[in-house]
Amino acid sequence: MKSLNQLLILLFLVVASVGVFSCKSQKKIAAQEAAAAEARKIAKAKADLEELLSDNSGLTLVEKENRLKVIKDMNIDDAEVQELIVKVDEKLKREREALMAKERAEKLAREREEALRREGSEKKGLDDYFDLIANSSNMATSNRYIGEALGLFASEEVPVLVIISKSGNIVDYDRPTTIRKYLEYLKDQKVVRNKIENVVYDANGKITELELIKK
Amino acid sequence: MNKSNIVFSIILLFAVCMTAFAQPEISPERKQAIDSLALEKVKDLGKYISIIGNKDTPFSEANRVIDRALELFAEGSQMGVSSLHRQDIKYYGIREYFQRLMALNYDRVRIEWFNIQYISDLVRQPDGRYVGVITVYQRFTGESDDGLKYVDTTKKDITVYVERKQTQIQGRIIGFWDVLLGDIRVTETKPE
Repeated sequence: MKSLNQLLILLFLVVASVGVFSCKSQKKIAAQEAAAAEARKIAKAKADLEELLSDNSGLTLVEKENRLKVIKDMNIDDAEVQELIVKVDEKLKREREALMAKERAEKLAREREEALRREGSEKKGLDDYFDLIANSSNMATSNRYIGEALGLFASEEVPVLVIISKSGNIVDYDRPTTIRKYLEYLKDQKVVRNKIENVVYDANGKITELELIKK
Repeated sequence: MNKSNIVFSIILLFAVCMTAFAQPEISPERKQAIDSLALEKVKDLGKYISIIGNKDTPFSEANRVIDRALELFAEGSQMGVSSLHRQDIKYYGIREYFQRLMALNYDRVRIEWFNIQYISDLVRQPDGRYVGVITVYQRFTGESDDGLKYVDTTKKDITVYVERKQTQIQGRIIGFWDVLLGDIRVTETKPE
């Protein structure tokens, strides 16, 4: 009986020690897995940040900002990741400022176009069309204004003379052009460099000759 | 032809030559107007090149702009093209240059001209034409969706010819200054 008790105690000790060792081993594996997961997370974060820096992501600015936020929220304790975050932050800040500047410029152009449209809504003069065409924010609008402006002329081939200087009786001109080409010139160059000097009309009230002068 | 006809012909020829050489110098105000006009034409070209190169420009529109830009050039003019990847400078006829520019293998192309100024003033030549040289800096940026990006800045010298011409507009004789651009030579190419 005594020997049976001793055997049971021995068996208990063996089972207990196996349990302890097994537990320690599981903790070790879990720690290793956690470290591997952290390493993967850091590597993924670095790859994402480098992509954001390289301009190859193909993402919109908002998408890039969201991706950066996700990475920041991970609170990754890695010096390289933190350094990349700072760089991407600065880059996206610059992009945001550029985008805002572009949006402001577009808004101003739209407002100016709208103001010009309102001013000339009742009856647009040729001067108005010059401004509208040169300040149009898109090609469709400028083409529409060109079409409307051409309606004021006897034909698309009406000559346009541009005076570059007047000195006594001597008048110097630029190479003559046609009204179609001149209106398209305004669309392309987006600037009105000349003002109206003289207009010749036919019996139908259509313009048959236009003389401009440098502003 | 008798002797008096020969003498008359010589006198007439002499008179024509003298008239050509005796064209009065124009006033400083007129000269300044011509200087500005030539500079303006170069600026116009810069804008046209930007439109032609821009991938957002529709094909038909780019072709129209090419026609307008070609009107700025003298017949037979050439455009120099350089690259950071090679030593030599290639020269193309202007139309071919524009067509190559339009077909560049990038997804986005941005071309800006800046610091446009005379490096050699317009000077009257014996034939009555004015010739000068205007220099421009061109910043070229080409980007592809696969991340390829090429940027360079080139300095270009543009020969400019200005000639007094006459034309008849609706029965009226109009004297005008015709500005024509000549060869465009690359004098410097550097990264960004």
